[in-house]
This record gives sequence, structure tokens and C-alpha cells, in this order.
Amino acid sequence: VAQLIEALGFGLVTASVVALAAVGITLQFGVTNYVNFAYGSYLGLGAFVAWFINSALGVTFWLAVVGGALFTGIFSVVVSRLLLDRFARRNPPAVYMLMVTLGLWLFLSNLLLIVWGTEIRHYTVAADTPVKLGVLQLTVRQLIVMVVAVVVLLLIHLLLHSTKIGKQMRALSDDSALAQVSGVNTDYVVSVTWLISGCLVGLSGCTLALALSGFGPGFGDAFLFVIFSAVILGGIGQPYGAMLGALIVGFATELSGTYLNAAYKTDFAFLFLILTLFIRPQGLLASRGRH
Amino acid sequence: MDLSALLFYIATVVIVFITYNILTWGLNIQFGYAGIPNFTYITFWAAGAYFTGVTLLGPSSTQPGVHYILGLNMPFPVALIAGGLASALLGLVIGVVALGRLRSDYLAIVLFSSGFVIYDFVSSFQGLFNGLDGISGILPPFSDLLPLDQNGYLFFFILLSGVVMLLMWFVANRIYNSGLGRAMRAVREDADVAEAIGKSAFRIKLKALVIGSLFAGIAGGLTIAYVTAMNPSAWISSETFIVFAAMLLGGKANNVGSMVGAFLLPVLLVEGTRFLPQFSDNANLIPGLRVMFISIVLFLVLWFRPQGLVPEKRPFYQLAVRRAKPETTVAS
Repeated sequence: VAQLIEALGFGLVTASVVALAAVGITLQFGVTNYVNFAYGSYLGLGAFVAWFINSALGVTFWLAVVGGALFTGIFSVVVSRLLLDRFARRNPPAVYMLMVTLGLWLFLSNLLLIVWGTEIRHYTVAADTPVKLGVLQLTVRQLIVMVVAVVVLLLIHLLLHSTKIGKQMRALSDDSALAQVSGVNTDYVVSVTWLISGCLVGLSGCTLALALSGFGPGFGDAFLFVIFSAVILGGIGQPYGAMLGALIVGFATELSGTYLNAAYKTDFAFLFLILTLFIRPQGLLASRGRH
Repeated sequence: MDLSALLFYIATVVIVFITYNILTWGLNIQFGYAGIPNFTYITFWAAGAYFTGVTLLGPSSTQPGVHYILGLNMPFPVALIAGGLASALLGLVIGVVALGRLRSDYLAIVLFSSGFVIYDFVSSFQGLFNGLDGISGILPPFSDLLPLDQNGYLFFFILLSGVVMLLMWFVANRIYNSGLGRAMRAVREDADVAEAIGKSAFRIKLKALVIGSLFAGIAGGLTIAYVTAMNPSAWISSETFIVFAAMLLGGKANNVGSMVGAFLLPVLLVEGTRFLPQFSDNANLIPGLRVMFISIVLFLVLWFRPQGLVPEKRPFYQLAVRRAKPETTVAS
């Protein structure tokens, strides 16, 4: 039982990290209607910039994390303006957008590698004191990751339902032609979406680095498909689905890691991806007409 | 550099060109002919290389601390075919699972992810192909039978892989012009229309994936026979990307274009910059810049010339329409 509770605790942490990125990615996918394979590098970028602000510039860690997330968000807008939107506006076949984002991923991951080197970095934050939360035994570090995720996701909920831009994003995701004739400024909403998704993925990178305690330049790449699994499991374009998917994938990877074999735990996320695509390709919370 | 080192370098470049040709043709069959975004193509190359390797090698019990499956001690032609078939089988399994009803972006995610999973599995499961250390010590094909010196053997190997390349060239073009090739292009252009005239898009895409994987496996088999070793660092995702970039730069669905692309990117750019002076302490600088440069080439190709340097030949009916046009204008 102790083992199970520990796995559940780790599952919540993984779910928090995955949920942050998955919500961002699903929002972007819903609005722009193409997959961005470069997000693995955005995870690395967020973690690295936060590390740089903290260690090299000597700014408080939490402020540095905000900096890392914001930097990644702005970077994501710039990239979409300079590259992705321009290609998307030409309405190319879906595979061409995939090729462009795949190229972007390799461009960015190699840029990170050149700037960063292969060195494994650590956040210098003293947060390894254990805390007891009901039956769960966690470290302060893990607790913080969870609190950050919950707060940020609540903010996203408020954004989507109580602000004009949030409603416009949902409208664009549901039916872009209808949103356009209703007077939604598509370019503006698309840019805001990229900003939010970039911030969320950058923040997710910081929390992933915090949860792992050490990170290298490509540490987000293999984690990306765990996030994709959560996105597809929840239904593409569905932020609440992505949260649910993240919880399921988080628990599944940690439980399988504890009871089966830790070396292959992310592979179980892949199994979920395959099963979802076979049993319910539209995802758990799918909107009508999108599959 | 003395003469034999220079000869060795030239021979290596020629062999790289030959294997990349076969590799690019295989991807061309999958993506160029049939439109399958196989974002883990290099995994199939690796499967071919590993299986060729373990079919050539003796049992793993002869090497202490090294673990791999099979170890059959077979002659090279058998091993090369085994590598090609193993890769084709992997293509069949992945294809049956993924090709059924996924639209292209889901399919790309699944293929991309399956590459990571397989990579992870091969790296951590020591008993399969010796984990991260990989397999090594493969005897060059026929080297024990032929009384050749190093240069003679290089020449022989080029001849051997050249014959394989010609065979694959023949097969790739034969498929393009066959009914199957036309069906593949029909599925690429519009799967619903192909279904409407009675072609199963699933079966046709599956055939394209399996045949393309066979090409990748043969290329992998030739590579491991030449390099004599194989480990996971040789098949990271950026390798898939280089083949994609070569195919798109050369011109998709055109095998001459694939050759041009394979010559420009993997050979001229990657091999040509191998001996650049190290102008910085940063060991990642040149390899990193190389991949970034390839990304930029890809962006430029997709923006300015998506059909590639040597575009796909116009289908006959389009030529016919073009020829017919002046007459119709005269008539009207």
C-alpha cells in the first residue's frame, strides 16, 4: 500500500507537468489546426531560460520560472509570426505543416545544444524537505509543482470562460469560418493562443526540470509524446479533456513504473495513445464534428 | 593525408551515396508515392542494420558481456535479405496498427512516438541488440573468401553495393510505373476517390510502407556491413529528418530527384563538412549548424519550390490535356 500511495503521489506530479503543456498544446491545435512537433524544444527552452535567469543573473528562482515561461511564450509568438503562420496561411496539405514543424524542432534543438552544451543542469532551490499531505508523502518541490499547475489551470479556465479573448479562442477552435464572419480578429487570436501555449509549455518545462532535479538540452523531446498522448486521449482542442488525459497518463506511467518496470514507464503512455486511437479516436471529451 | 587515406575517404563517400540513394528511394515510395508521413523512417534502417548484423555474427555467447539475439553466422546475401525482411515486417506491424483510419497528423504523431518507444526499448533492453553499446565486430562480407588488399576490397564493396543499388533502382521505378504505383499516387492525392473506384487505401498504403521499409532495411544492411558496428546513437530522429530533407529537396515522387537530394545533403553537406577545421571549442557547433542549415534548406524548399529540384513527371493525361488545348482554342 505504501508503494501504491507513493506511486499515486508521483502520478499527481507527472500529471501536473503533463497537464500544463497538454492544455497549451491542445488550445493551439484547436485554434490553428496543425500539430507543432517543436514543443519538445520549447520545454527545454523554458527550463533553460529559467535556469539562466536564476543562476547566471542571480534572480530569485520563482521569478526566474515566470521569466522562463514568458520568454518561451513570446518566443512562440515570434516563431509563429515569422514562420508557422506564413506557411499555414498558404493552406498547404497537412503533411507540409508537419514537415515545417519537424524542421523547426530540429533547428531549435540543435540551437539549444550549441548554446547549452550537453551538460546536465540543476536548479539550485532548496525544496527537498519532505511534507506529509494526508496519506501522500511528497517533497516541497513536488508540492510546488502541483500547486503551480492547479493555480495556472484555474486561471486558464477563467480566461476561457470569462474573458472576451478566451471566448474568441473557443469560437475559433469550434468553427473558424463562423468565428471570422462574426468579426473575430483571427490573426490577433492566433497570436494570443501561441503566447498562452508557449507560456504553458515553457512553464511545464520548468516544472518537469524541477521534478526531475537534473536536465539536459533534449530532455523534453521524448517527454513530448507523453504530452501528445494526454492531448489525444482527452480529445484534440479540448482543454478539460487534456487535463483529464494528463491525470490518466500521469497515473498510468507512474503506476506501471512502480509495478512493472521503471525503464519502460513512458512507453505505457504510448500504449494509451494507440488504444485511444483505436477505441475512441475522437478522445474522451470530443466536440461534435472534430475527429 | 596520404594516398590510401584519401582513397578510403573517397570510397566511404561513394558508399554513403549508394546507401543514401536506396534509403531515399524507400522513403520516396512511402511519402512521395503514397503520402505516408513516416517520421520514424530511420528506425526501419536501424532494424535492417541490426538484423543483418546479428545474422552475420556468431552466437553472442562467444563474446563475454555482450548480449544479442540470433547470432546465426550466415553468409552476407542471406543476412542482407534477413535485414530487409525484418525491416519490412516491422513496417507491416506498425502499418497494420497505425495506417487503418488515422488522418495524416495523428499518423505522424503515432509514427514519431513509436520511434521514441522503439529507441527507448532497444537502448534499455540489453538482451536484444546489446543496449546502448550496440553490436560490433562484424566481418566485412566475403573478406575471408577474397584474397584482396584493403584498396581492392573497397573497390569490391563499392561494386557489391552498386549492384544492390541498381537492383533497388529498377524495383523503385518499376513500382512507380505499375498499377500499384498509380494506385499509391491516387491514394496520396485523394484517398476517398481511390476508395470510390474500388481501391483499398489501407492496403495500398500498407504495401507502400512495407516496400519502403524493405528499402530502408537493405540500406541499413549495407551500412552495417561497411561500418561493421551499430549502436543507438546512429539512428536518432535527426537522421530521419535528413532523409526527408534530401527527398523533398530533390523532388518527391521522382527517383532521379531523390538521387540529387541524396547527393546534395547527406553526401555533399554532411560528408563534405566532416573535415572542417574545428574553429571553436564547442564540439556541438559544427554538427548542430549542419542540422540547422538542413532545416533552413527545408523551409526554403517548401516555401519556394515544394515540388523539389527535379519535379515529378507530369502524368500522361495532363500532357494530353496540354496538347489538346491549342486545338480547342482554335475550334472555339
